[in-house]
Amino acid sequence: MPSSSFIGVLGYLEIFLCVAALAILIGKKQWRDYWGLGALLVVRAASNSLLMAVEQFSGRGIERHIAYHIYFYVYWIGFAVESILALLIVYGVFKLAMAPLKGLQTLGMLVFKWAAGISVAVALGSAFSPGLKGTGLLVNAISQLQRTQSILTLCLLLFVTFAIRPMGLSYSSRIFGVSLGLGIMSTNDLVQSAWLVFNPTMASTYDVVNGVVICVILVTWTAYFALPEPKRRIIVLPTTSPFLRWNQISQALGDSPGFVAVGGVPPELFAPAELEVMRRASVKMVTPFPSQSETRATFSRAV
Amino acid sequence: MKVIVRSLVIALAVTGAIATTFVNTTPAKATITAKTSAMPVPACPPDDPNACGMGTW
Repeated sequence: MPSSSFIGVLGYLEIFLCVAALAILIGKKQWRDYWGLGALLVVRAASNSLLMAVEQFSGRGIERHIAYHIYFYVYWIGFAVESILALLIVYGVFKLAMAPLKGLQTLGMLVFKWAAGISVAVALGSAFSPGLKGTGLLVNAISQLQRTQSILTLCLLLFVTFAIRPMGLSYSSRIFGVSLGLGIMSTNDLVQSAWLVFNPTMASTYDVVNGVVICVILVTWTAYFALPEPKRRIIVLPTTSPFLRWNQISQALGDSPGFVAVGGVPPELFAPAELEVMRRASVKMVTPFPSQSETRATFSRAV
Repeated sequence: MKVIVRSLVIALAVTGAIATTFVNTTPAKATITAKTSAMPVPACPPDDPNACGMGTW
Protein backbone atom coordinates (compact mmCIF):
# COMPACT_ATOMS: atom_id res chain seq x y z
CA MET A 1 0.00 0.00 0.00
CA PRO A 2 1.53 3.37 -0.94
CA SER A 3 2.04 5.76 2.00
CA SER A 4 -0.51 8.29 0.61
CA SER A 5 -3.25 5.59 0.65
CA PHE A 6 -2.19 4.59 4.16
CA ILE A 7 -2.38 8.24 5.31
CA GLY A 8 -5.84 8.47 3.74
CA VAL A 9 -6.97 5.41 5.74
CA LEU A 10 -5.49 6.94 8.91
CA GLY A 11 -7.38 10.17 8.15
CA TYR A 12 -10.72 8.33 8.06
CA LEU A 13 -9.75 6.30 11.12
CA GLU A 14 -8.92 9.49 13.02
CA ILE A 15 -12.39 10.95 12.34
CA PHE A 16 -14.04 7.67 13.32
CA LEU A 17 -12.06 7.44 16.59
CA CYS A 18 -12.85 11.09 17.42
CA VAL A 19 -16.57 10.36 17.08
CA ALA A 20 -16.22 7.09 19.05
CA ALA A 21 -14.32 8.78 21.92
CA LEU A 22 -16.87 11.61 21.98
CA ALA A 23 -19.81 9.18 22.04
CA ILE A 24 -18.31 7.24 24.97
CA LEU A 25 -17.45 10.44 26.85
CA ILE A 26 -21.06 11.64 26.54
CA GLY A 27 -22.48 8.14 27.13
CA LYS A 28 -20.56 7.81 30.41
CA LYS A 29 -21.87 11.24 31.51
CA GLN A 30 -18.38 12.74 31.72
CA TRP A 31 -19.11 15.87 29.67
CA ARG A 32 -19.36 18.07 32.78
CA ASP A 33 -15.82 17.20 33.93
CA TYR A 34 -14.19 16.84 30.52
CA TRP A 35 -16.09 19.33 28.37
CA GLY A 36 -12.79 20.74 27.06
CA LEU A 37 -11.76 17.36 25.71
CA GLY A 38 -15.24 16.85 24.25
CA ALA A 39 -15.04 20.22 22.50
CA LEU A 40 -11.55 19.37 21.19
CA LEU A 41 -12.87 16.12 19.71
CA VAL A 42 -15.82 17.93 18.10
CA VAL A 43 -13.53 20.57 16.53
CA ARG A 44 -11.05 17.90 15.38
CA ALA A 45 -13.76 15.72 13.81
CA ALA A 46 -15.45 18.69 12.10
CA SER A 47 -12.24 20.28 10.77
CA ASN A 48 -10.80 16.97 9.56
CA SER A 49 -14.05 16.07 7.78
CA LEU A 50 -13.95 19.42 6.00
CA LEU A 51 -10.25 19.04 5.15
CA MET A 52 -10.88 15.54 3.81
CA ALA A 53 -13.73 16.81 1.64
CA VAL A 54 -11.63 19.70 0.27
CA GLU A 55 -8.75 17.33 -0.44
CA GLN A 56 -11.05 14.90 -2.25
CA PHE A 57 -12.70 17.57 -4.41
CA SER A 58 -9.49 19.45 -5.22
CA GLY A 59 -9.18 19.57 -8.99
CA ARG A 60 -12.48 17.67 -9.29
CA GLY A 61 -15.12 20.31 -8.67
CA ILE A 62 -13.05 22.84 -6.73
CA GLU A 63 -10.15 24.60 -8.45
CA ARG A 64 -6.83 23.56 -6.85
CA HIS A 65 -5.76 27.05 -5.72
CA ILE A 66 -9.18 27.77 -4.18
CA ALA A 67 -9.12 24.34 -2.55
CA TYR A 68 -5.70 25.08 -1.05
CA HIS A 69 -6.93 28.46 0.22
CA ILE A 70 -9.85 26.75 2.03
CA TYR A 71 -7.58 23.96 3.29
CA PHE A 72 -5.00 26.43 4.61
CA TYR A 73 -7.46 28.54 6.64
CA VAL A 74 -9.52 25.60 7.94
CA TYR A 75 -6.34 23.82 9.09
CA TRP A 76 -4.71 26.77 10.88
CA ILE A 77 -7.89 28.21 12.43
CA GLY A 78 -8.85 24.74 13.63
CA PHE A 79 -5.35 24.35 15.05
CA ALA A 80 -5.58 27.65 16.95
CA VAL A 81 -8.96 26.68 18.44
CA GLU A 82 -7.59 23.27 19.43
CA SER A 83 -4.56 24.87 21.13
CA ILE A 84 -6.83 27.07 23.25
CA LEU A 85 -9.06 24.09 24.07
CA ALA A 86 -5.99 22.06 25.05
CA LEU A 87 -5.05 24.81 27.52
CA LEU A 88 -8.58 24.62 28.96
CA ILE A 89 -8.27 20.82 29.25
CA VAL A 90 -4.99 21.21 31.16
CA TYR A 91 -6.72 23.70 33.48
CA GLY A 92 -9.68 21.34 33.96
CA VAL A 93 -7.48 18.30 34.63
CA PHE A 94 -5.47 20.21 37.23
CA LYS A 95 -8.72 21.32 38.90
CA LEU A 96 -10.03 17.74 39.02
CA ALA A 97 -6.71 16.33 40.29
CA MET A 98 -6.53 18.84 43.14
CA ALA A 99 -10.23 18.62 44.07
CA PRO A 100 -9.68 17.07 47.56
CA LEU A 101 -7.29 19.85 48.64
CA LYS A 102 -9.47 22.88 48.07
CA GLY A 103 -6.97 25.41 49.37
CA LEU A 104 -4.09 24.23 47.19
CA GLN A 105 -6.50 23.86 44.28
CA THR A 106 -7.51 27.52 44.50
CA LEU A 107 -3.91 28.66 44.86
CA GLY A 108 -2.70 26.39 42.03
CA MET A 109 -5.44 27.58 39.68
CA LEU A 110 -4.57 31.19 40.40
CA VAL A 111 -0.90 30.51 39.67
CA PHE A 112 -1.85 28.53 36.54
CA LYS A 113 -4.01 31.38 35.20
CA TRP A 114 -1.18 33.87 35.61
CA ALA A 115 1.47 31.51 34.19
CA ALA A 116 -0.71 30.58 31.20
CA GLY A 117 -1.70 34.21 30.56
CA ILE A 118 1.90 35.46 30.65
CA SER A 119 3.16 32.51 28.55
CA VAL A 120 0.49 33.09 25.88
CA ALA A 121 1.21 36.84 25.82
CA VAL A 122 4.98 36.24 25.48
CA ALA A 123 4.41 33.55 22.80
CA LEU A 124 2.17 35.80 20.73
CA GLY A 125 4.52 38.73 21.23
CA SER A 126 7.52 36.73 20.06
CA ALA A 127 5.63 35.77 16.88
CA PHE A 128 6.14 39.32 15.58
CA SER A 129 9.29 39.20 13.46
CA PRO A 130 10.38 42.05 11.16
CA GLY A 131 9.94 40.09 7.92
CA LEU A 132 6.64 38.44 8.82
CA LYS A 133 3.19 39.74 7.97
CA GLY A 134 -0.24 38.47 6.96
CA THR A 135 -0.64 34.71 6.90
CA GLY A 136 3.03 34.16 7.83
CA LEU A 137 2.47 36.08 11.03
CA LEU A 138 -0.78 34.15 11.69
CA VAL A 139 0.94 30.78 11.25
CA ASN A 140 3.91 31.84 13.38
CA ALA A 141 1.60 33.10 16.17
CA ILE A 142 -0.41 29.85 16.16
CA SER A 143 2.83 27.83 16.20
CA GLN A 144 4.16 29.80 19.17
CA LEU A 145 0.84 29.36 20.98
CA GLN A 146 0.97 25.63 20.31
CA ARG A 147 4.54 25.39 21.63
CA THR A 148 3.55 27.20 24.82
CA GLN A 149 0.55 24.94 25.28
CA SER A 150 2.72 21.85 24.69
CA ILE A 151 5.22 22.89 27.37
CA LEU A 152 2.44 23.62 29.88
CA THR A 153 0.83 20.26 29.08
CA LEU A 154 4.08 18.38 29.68
CA CYS A 155 4.49 20.19 33.01
CA LEU A 156 0.96 19.09 33.97
CA LEU A 157 1.70 15.51 32.93
CA LEU A 158 4.82 15.45 35.11
CA PHE A 159 2.84 16.86 38.04
CA VAL A 160 -0.04 14.37 37.64
CA THR A 161 2.36 11.41 37.27
CA PHE A 162 4.37 12.17 40.37
CA ALA A 163 1.52 13.47 42.57
CA ILE A 164 -1.01 10.83 41.51
CA ARG A 165 -0.74 8.66 44.63
CA PRO A 166 -0.89 11.48 47.21
CA MET A 167 -4.00 12.70 45.33
CA GLY A 168 -5.73 9.34 45.87
CA LEU A 169 -5.64 8.49 42.15
CA SER A 170 -4.09 5.64 40.18
CA TYR A 171 -2.76 5.13 36.66
CA SER A 172 -6.19 3.76 35.72
CA SER A 173 -7.83 7.10 36.53
CA ARG A 174 -9.27 9.13 33.67
CA ILE A 175 -7.35 12.17 34.86
CA PHE A 176 -4.11 10.33 34.14
CA GLY A 177 -5.39 8.91 30.84
CA VAL A 178 -6.37 12.35 29.53
CA SER A 179 -3.05 13.86 30.69
CA LEU A 180 -1.05 11.03 29.11
CA GLY A 181 -2.83 11.44 25.76
CA LEU A 182 -2.26 15.19 25.81
CA GLY A 183 1.38 14.68 26.81
CA ILE A 184 2.04 12.31 23.90
CA MET A 185 0.35 14.79 21.57
CA SER A 186 2.45 17.68 22.89
CA THR A 187 5.72 15.80 22.55
CA ASN A 188 4.81 14.77 19.02
CA ASP A 189 3.92 18.37 18.13
CA LEU A 190 7.29 19.60 19.40
CA VAL A 191 9.23 16.86 17.60
CA GLN A 192 7.29 17.53 14.43
CA SER A 193 8.11 21.21 14.72
CA ALA A 194 11.82 20.31 14.69
CA TRP A 195 11.24 17.93 11.76
CA LEU A 196 9.50 20.63 9.69
CA VAL A 197 12.57 22.87 9.90
CA PHE A 198 14.33 20.54 7.45
CA ASN A 199 11.29 19.17 5.60
CA PRO A 200 8.97 22.11 4.98
CA THR A 201 6.87 20.32 2.34
CA MET A 202 3.21 19.62 2.89
CA ALA A 203 3.18 15.85 2.56
CA SER A 204 6.12 14.10 4.15
CA THR A 205 7.11 10.85 5.79
CA TYR A 206 6.23 12.31 9.15
CA ASP A 207 2.52 12.34 8.19
CA VAL A 208 2.47 8.57 8.70
CA VAL A 209 3.98 8.96 12.20
CA ASN A 210 1.45 11.72 12.90
CA GLY A 211 -1.47 9.59 11.78
CA VAL A 212 -0.38 6.60 13.86
CA VAL A 213 0.29 8.74 16.97
CA ILE A 214 -3.11 10.48 16.87
CA CYS A 215 -4.88 7.13 16.44
CA VAL A 216 -2.97 5.72 19.46
CA ILE A 217 -3.96 8.80 21.52
CA LEU A 218 -7.63 8.53 20.52
CA VAL A 219 -7.69 4.79 21.30
CA THR A 220 -6.13 5.56 24.73
CA TRP A 221 -8.81 8.15 25.52
CA THR A 222 -11.59 5.87 24.27
CA ALA A 223 -10.31 3.00 26.44
CA TYR A 224 -9.98 5.18 29.55
CA PHE A 225 -13.54 6.46 29.15
CA ALA A 226 -15.00 3.07 28.21
CA LEU A 227 -13.47 1.14 31.14
CA PRO A 228 -14.82 1.67 34.65
CA GLU A 229 -12.76 4.15 36.66
CA PRO A 230 -11.42 3.03 40.07
CA LYS A 231 -12.76 5.09 42.97
CA ARG A 232 -10.54 7.72 44.45
CA ARG A 233 -8.83 6.49 47.63
CA ILE A 234 -9.21 8.30 50.91
CA ILE A 235 -6.34 10.73 51.28
CA VAL A 236 -4.69 10.38 54.68
CA LEU A 237 -2.07 12.92 55.62
CA PRO A 238 -0.11 13.14 58.88
CA THR A 239 -1.07 16.13 61.00
CA THR A 240 2.46 17.46 60.54
CA SER A 241 2.26 17.22 56.74
CA PRO A 242 3.35 20.41 54.96
CA PHE A 243 0.65 19.70 52.33
CA LEU A 244 -2.02 19.89 55.02
CA ARG A 245 -0.51 23.06 56.51
CA TRP A 246 -0.22 24.75 53.10
CA ASN A 247 -3.77 23.69 52.27
CA GLN A 248 -5.06 25.32 55.47
CA ILE A 249 -3.07 28.47 54.77
CA SER A 250 -4.31 28.59 51.19
CA GLN A 251 -7.90 28.15 52.34
CA ALA A 252 -7.56 31.14 54.65
CA LEU A 253 -6.05 33.29 51.88
CA GLY A 254 -8.49 35.51 50.09
CA ASP A 255 -11.21 35.29 52.76
CA SER A 256 -13.11 38.55 53.11
CA PRO A 257 -11.91 40.09 56.41
CA GLY A 258 -14.07 41.16 59.33
CA PHE A 259 -14.03 44.79 60.51
CA VAL A 260 -13.73 46.20 64.03
CA ALA A 261 -14.87 49.68 65.07
CA VAL A 262 -12.02 51.11 67.14
CA GLY A 263 -13.33 54.57 67.95
CA GLY A 264 -15.66 57.40 67.10
CA VAL A 265 -18.78 55.27 67.48
CA PRO A 266 -21.74 57.36 68.70
CA PRO A 267 -24.12 55.54 71.13
CA GLU A 268 -27.07 56.30 68.82
CA LEU A 269 -25.73 53.64 66.44
CA PHE A 270 -26.57 50.89 68.92
CA ALA A 271 -29.99 49.45 69.60
CA PRO A 272 -31.35 49.88 73.16
CA ALA A 273 -31.01 46.13 73.79
CA GLU A 274 -27.34 46.24 72.74
CA LEU A 275 -26.70 49.20 75.05
CA GLU A 276 -28.33 47.31 77.92
CA VAL A 277 -26.15 44.24 77.28
CA MET A 278 -23.03 46.41 77.28
CA ARG A 279 -24.07 48.21 80.47
CA ARG A 280 -24.63 44.94 82.34
CA ALA A 281 -21.36 43.51 81.06
CA SER A 282 -19.43 46.58 82.19
CA VAL A 283 -21.03 46.35 85.67
CA LYS A 284 -19.84 42.74 85.99
CA MET A 285 -16.36 43.59 84.79
CA VAL A 286 -15.71 46.23 87.48
CA THR A 287 -14.93 44.39 90.73
CA PRO A 288 -16.11 46.56 93.69
CA PHE A 289 -13.06 47.62 95.67
CA PRO A 290 -13.42 46.69 99.41
CA SER A 291 -13.84 49.64 101.84
CA GLN A 292 -11.21 50.42 104.58
CA SER A 293 -13.35 49.07 107.50
CA GLU A 294 -14.00 45.77 105.66
CA THR A 295 -10.29 45.34 105.08
CA ARG A 296 -9.42 46.01 108.78
CA ALA A 297 -12.07 43.51 110.10
CA THR A 298 -10.81 40.77 107.81
CA PHE A 299 -7.22 41.38 109.00
CA SER A 300 -8.07 41.23 112.78
CA ARG A 301 -10.12 37.99 112.31
CA ALA A 302 -7.14 36.40 110.63
CA VAL A 303 -4.82 37.35 113.55
CA MET B 1 4.25 -0.52 36.53
CA LYS B 2 5.01 2.66 38.44
CA VAL B 3 8.60 2.73 37.18
CA ILE B 4 7.53 2.08 33.58
CA VAL B 5 4.90 4.84 33.59
CA ARG B 6 7.25 7.33 35.25
CA SER B 7 10.04 6.49 32.80
CA LEU B 8 7.66 6.96 29.86
CA VAL B 9 6.51 10.34 31.14
CA ILE B 10 10.07 11.52 31.81
CA ALA B 11 11.07 10.36 28.31
CA LEU B 12 8.18 12.36 26.83
CA ALA B 13 9.14 15.49 28.78
CA VAL B 14 12.86 15.20 27.90
CA THR B 15 12.08 14.61 24.21
CA GLY B 16 9.80 17.65 24.22
CA ALA B 17 12.46 19.76 25.91
CA ILE B 18 15.16 18.69 23.41
CA ALA B 19 12.84 19.38 20.45
CA THR B 20 12.02 22.85 21.83
CA THR B 21 15.71 23.64 22.31
CA PHE B 22 16.41 22.46 18.79
CA VAL B 23 13.66 24.64 17.30
CA ASN B 24 14.72 27.69 19.32
CA THR B 25 18.37 27.45 18.26
CA THR B 26 17.65 26.90 14.58
CA PRO B 27 18.70 29.81 12.32
CA ALA B 28 15.37 29.71 10.41
CA LYS B 29 13.41 32.97 10.67
CA ALA B 30 10.10 31.36 11.58
CA THR B 31 9.49 27.73 12.41
CA ILE B 32 6.02 26.26 12.29
CA THR B 33 4.42 23.68 14.52
CA ALA B 34 1.87 21.35 13.02
CA LYS B 35 -0.87 19.47 14.81
CA THR B 36 -0.74 15.77 15.48
CA SER B 37 -3.13 14.63 12.80
CA ALA B 38 -3.22 12.39 9.76
CA MET B 39 -4.04 15.45 7.65
CA PRO B 40 -1.09 16.91 5.68
CA VAL B 41 0.33 20.22 6.98
CA PRO B 42 -0.24 23.24 4.69
CA ALA B 43 3.27 24.67 5.12
CA CYS B 44 3.24 26.90 1.99
CA PRO B 45 1.61 30.36 1.91
CA PRO B 46 -2.02 30.37 0.68
CA ASP B 47 -1.08 32.12 -2.60
CA ASP B 48 1.46 29.44 -3.51
CA PRO B 49 1.50 29.16 -7.35
CA ASN B 50 1.67 25.36 -7.13
CA ALA B 51 -1.10 25.19 -4.46
CA CYS B 52 1.50 23.45 -2.28
CA GLY B 53 1.25 20.42 -4.53
CA MET B 54 -2.37 19.82 -3.54
CA GLY B 55 -4.01 16.99 -5.41
CA THR B 56 -0.70 15.21 -5.85
CA TRP B 57 -0.41 13.90 -2.26
